[in-house]
Amino acid sequence: MGEPVIDVRDLSKHYADIKAIDGITFNVEKGEMFSLLGPNGAGKTTTVEILEGLRDPTSGEARVLGVDVRTGYRKIRERVGVLPQDFEPFDRLQPREAVAYWAQLFDRTLTKKEIDDLISTVGLSDRAETLAMNLSGGEKRRLGIAMSLVGRPQLVFLDEPTTGLDPGARRELWGLIRQLKKEGTTILLTTHYLDEAEQLADDVAIMNHGKIVARGSPAELIAQYGRGSTIVLAGAGEDGLRAVQARGITAELQGVDVVVKVPVASDMRRMLEKLASIDTPLNEIYTRRASLEDVFLSLVGARMQEGVLAT
Amino acid sequence: MNRILADMKAFGTQYLRSRVGTFFALVFPILLILLFGAIFGSSGSSPVTLYVQDVDNSAASHAFTDALNKTNVTTTRAIPSSADFSQYIRDHSINVALQIPSGFQVALAKAQNGTRVTVNLTLAGDQTQSSYGIAVSAVDAVATAFNLQVAKAAPVVNVLPTSVPGLRHLTYIDLFLPGIIGFTILSTPLFGMTAICAEYRSRRYFKLLATTKLSKPEWLAAKVVFHIILLFASVALMVLVGILVFGLKAVVTPMAVLIIIAGTLEFTSLGMALGIFVRDPETGAAIANAIGFPMMFLAGSFFPVDAMPAFLQTGARFLPLTYINEGLRATMTFANDATALVDLLVTLGFAAVFFVVAARGLSWKSK
Repeated sequence: MGEPVIDVRDLSKHYADIKAIDGITFNVEKGEMFSLLGPNGAGKTTTVEILEGLRDPTSGEARVLGVDVRTGYRKIRERVGVLPQDFEPFDRLQPREAVAYWAQLFDRTLTKKEIDDLISTVGLSDRAETLAMNLSGGEKRRLGIAMSLVGRPQLVFLDEPTTGLDPGARRELWGLIRQLKKEGTTILLTTHYLDEAEQLADDVAIMNHGKIVARGSPAELIAQYGRGSTIVLAGAGEDGLRAVQARGITAELQGVDVVVKVPVASDMRRMLEKLASIDTPLNEIYTRRASLEDVFLSLVGARMQEGVLAT
Repeated sequence: MNRILADMKAFGTQYLRSRVGTFFALVFPILLILLFGAIFGSSGSSPVTLYVQDVDNSAASHAFTDALNKTNVTTTRAIPSSADFSQYIRDHSINVALQIPSGFQVALAKAQNGTRVTVNLTLAGDQTQSSYGIAVSAVDAVATAFNLQVAKAAPVVNVLPTSVPGLRHLTYIDLFLPGIIGFTILSTPLFGMTAICAEYRSRRYFKLLATTKLSKPEWLAAKVVFHIILLFASVALMVLVGILVFGLKAVVTPMAVLIIIAGTLEFTSLGMALGIFVRDPETGAAIANAIGFPMMFLAGSFFPVDAMPAFLQTGARFLPLTYINEGLRATMTFANDATALVDLLVTLGFAAVFFVVAARGLSWKSK
């Protein structure tokens, strides 16, 4: 295995009153899609901005494409694509103009065909001559991705690329990100959407309060921290909960659903049979595989909604 | 160089698509020229209206009123002789009015016969208005002529107005245009750049640009070059309107071109240096207004620095716009390039300081 594309060792960023990053270590291999997952304020963007050469760390080491970003980012910037958090394109430029302009800032002059291809890659061909201010939120992020790709980068930083987008636009953007990965681009993706990390990432680092609290593939994390699967008695309500608990089964009420955790997969069949024998009104009964949401709850002790920890 | 041109082209495209920016850079100065030219230019000046109450109602008082009308600086309107003079002025909000008293003709006749006698004309009005001063001069001139006539004397000392040899015959617009060019050199880049810095910071464009190969000095250079092109377009329009509408004689000399370039560099850099302190569009506008508006009035864009109180004249020496205005007037209006050269050098000095402060002080990165 060669040198990692990103190599972070004991990296810290401290301010007077807060430790934004507190001694994190991780690496990202070539062609990998790595996700930093965590709530707002966890330190994801600070980490990415250090890797982009936009902030200096307090201590530790951060190397990107083999160079120390503190001293050598200039040497690699044409090999790195960046989509910053809350990206807004230049309002009065058309996507075609914006892509051509951005390429020139990396000393590249794109041909018309190259521009068309890039615009087509992000699915904006029919909006190529629309002023950016008139694009939808999802289209603006697509334009941002097109701009980040003008130098044919080996590494792309996508900082919360789908935040604020509607579900349809998010899924369209996921397709585009998957396509980039398929073409061999290494991607560092930050997100506070658990399903996004689970769907897209090869490797996930869960951050909270500036620290990485868990690291691994989504499957590994779910296996290690997901506490097995769940059986849901939809619509069973409080009467259902009492009936289940009367049989000595541990359960909790989530809304009007009764939820039963099954930590060991081999116990699933026996538990299903036990629950099916309980005579209580309900809408349906189904099983749910553990997800990163369960992992996050297990590790952080709180659920996350739109980047905010639910108390 | 290619990065500068690319950034300039992209910035210029956006700027020209923003109609507000284009209006203030190209159209607003023209409106100022048309407005001030119409108000103060000789082609459109009209006589002061002088209200006259002729209580004497005699041949002599009629002759006096006729003489006032022949000065071409006043036109008279009658106040009824039976009206209360002061009350009439207040009721009709009159700026300036003359009362010719009863006995005016009799007094003149006595004087012609050698009797020592005095008759007093009353000139009432708002002494803060320029029209009052014009009326005083006109009435005084006519009264002097009447006195000479009564004394059967001829004037001894005469004034012959003439132009300075070798100097173009100047009109108001020739003195005013350099000030308006100076005003545009200040306002277009200064207000524009502080707004741009605010937008670039709040929308995180600085961070985005920091990930490219474009450097801060290159970004600033692109803005300077664009504003220079924009300013020349604006000056060309102003000169064209000045010639076509007001018969402008002032000339955009090579020295004026250099001052325009240096001034644009100066205020584009100052705008970016102020951007160091700008966090959002509101503070950007407040800072630009706080610095730009006092400067455009105190530095002699609209009226000469010499007309201001002494302490303000001293203060004006510290304002960068003063040297642009004075340099442009010296070279464009008076063809005095030696004086303009000093102003150019001072402007270049300010420009260099602002450019260095801006390029070093404005951080694209986060702390």
